[in-house]
Amino acid sequence: MINLIRAEWFKLTRRPLAWVLLAVFLALLVLLLMTEFLVVGLDDGLFSGGARAQLLSAEQVRQFRLHLGFPGIFGAVLGHVNGVGGICAIALAAGVIGSEYGWGTLRIHLARQPHRGRYLIAKIIGLLLALLAGILLALLAGILLALLFGSLLPGTGGATPSVLALPLGVLRSLYVLLPYVLCTVACSILGRSVVAGALGGFLFLAVDAGLGALSFLAGLGGPVGFLLNLIVQPNINTLIVLNSQSFGLDPAALTRTMDLTTLPSPLQAALVIGVYSALFFASAYRLLLRRDIGGAA
Amino acid sequence: MDAAIHTEGLTKRFGTRTAVDQLDLHVLPGCVFGFLGPNGSGKTTTIGMLLGLIRPSAGRAIVLGHDIAHEPEQALAGVGAMIEAPAFYPYLSGRDNLRVLALAGGLAAARVEAALDVVELADRAGDKFRFYSQGMRQRLGIAAALLAGPQLIMLDEPTNGLDPAGQREIRELIRMLARSGRTIFVSSHLLHEAEQMCDEVAILKQGRVVTVGTVADLLRRGRGLLVRVVGDVAAAAGLLRGVAWAGSVDQRGDTLLVDAPTEHAAEITSLLAAHAISVAEIRPHERHLEDFFLEVTRAEPPDKMTR
Repeated sequence: MINLIRAEWFKLTRRPLAWVLLAVFLALLVLLLMTEFLVVGLDDGLFSGGARAQLLSAEQVRQFRLHLGFPGIFGAVLGHVNGVGGICAIALAAGVIGSEYGWGTLRIHLARQPHRGRYLIAKIIGLLLALLAGILLALLAGILLALLFGSLLPGTGGATPSVLALPLGVLRSLYVLLPYVLCTVACSILGRSVVAGALGGFLFLAVDAGLGALSFLAGLGGPVGFLLNLIVQPNINTLIVLNSQSFGLDPAALTRTMDLTTLPSPLQAALVIGVYSALFFASAYRLLLRRDIGGAA
Repeated sequence: MDAAIHTEGLTKRFGTRTAVDQLDLHVLPGCVFGFLGPNGSGKTTTIGMLLGLIRPSAGRAIVLGHDIAHEPEQALAGVGAMIEAPAFYPYLSGRDNLRVLALAGGLAAARVEAALDVVELADRAGDKFRFYSQGMRQRLGIAAALLAGPQLIMLDEPTNGLDPAGQREIRELIRMLARSGRTIFVSSHLLHEAEQMCDEVAILKQGRVVTVGTVADLLRRGRGLLVRVVGDVAAAAGLLRGVAWAGSVDQRGDTLLVDAPTEHAAEITSLLAAHAISVAEIRPHERHLEDFFLEVTRAEPPDKMTR
């Protein structure tokens, strides 16, 4: 298994797609933080000789200011991971699994490593390791930007979080990506292609996020609210909010319609995300095990 | 002696279409076995089943003494294979593609260089796979098959898409590998290639084996003398059918194909001359595997011969 994971890592670190996605992801992170810096700077009159331009409410500006310093930058970066990062993760997962069919390389591997389950697990672990590396690089970029912004803006610092807040936050972010990644893996195997994987992953993301946003903004309660809380998105929101709060941020301050009391409990969130991930994994595993492996597309 | 490959009633159906039908094969260790058949005859599907990539609908396959369905890891531990076109990661170099396979198999890095040397690709091993010519791709495919030092090498159409020089290179490479004592199972639809490389062949038609035997045996069948006569051809055929040393006599226009040793040429001439039939030409009938292949793959229904 370790050998298979090493081989996956070797391929991933040399794959242009992985680097392109990382570059896009980091560029968008920098753009997001620069925009927040601009808003806070305008509010402080930093660019206009003291003349202040208030674009957002005081509380929203305060949240942005926290994003630009320690430890709030960690919350901002992890929020970005679970937003734009999810799209990048789906694209990477579709590429990693689907192209093995497209190039015909799957049969080369399976003719040598006939234990298909082990092969699939190694591929998923390799993928998750690549995502973890991406998160760590994003945190590093965030640290550098926070040092820069801290030297330019006053009051960016927040309360010191617990020692475990960062590792737990990283794990939560990775866990949030898991159902999307595994859905994409299953769809890539089902359709034996990159396109099928990407289509399935993005469709799931769009439908799930759409329904989640709808229920969240509508503040639905009762049986409908309960049912909607069984889809992935509200449960993911719980973990994202937890991540923000552990770095002293208040996500409700940025979205006036957000009612955090309608979100599922952290335990339910962990369970629901786990169940969806397990179902997608089982589908992918079963499909790979049972189907014949043909040639290149 | 244990067979390198042994199949019993191996069958694969895709819906209502039977791609491989009741295939019985017995490939002895150390031989170059040609698996021949027209395109679409079921060669690649059979190799897929032998490698555990395609699940048989019926029958079983034993590879290196292990049932591929129940002990795939043990069966494939000693197998190297190239299936259809060589498939590699286009963004990696030839060397890195082999490194991926070596890493996955827990093999030493030195094996990569050794395999590249065998196929004479070391000089271009740093180039990206997507820039490789067809010949280089085929050689990289063979290098990948050799990587783990297999006892049994399965090559599916190894000279496909190559120019004559490239085909020759690959044939020489296969002969060189055969000299090292490995069993080589090579599928092809190119008959002259099989005739030059293989010790034994099986000919497949519409998923069924129509004949199996050594190349020498198959070529011996139908060898004889071609006699072109002037005059009554039917009478000449009747005369020759009456002699003890002649086997079958086939009439093809004004020519007779006589199943008889070449030393009887003078007797044939004398016999026909005695009955006022002139012989315009008499010569040995040389047969190539291609002639035999075309005969058995065109014949309907398949004439299932045994060794």
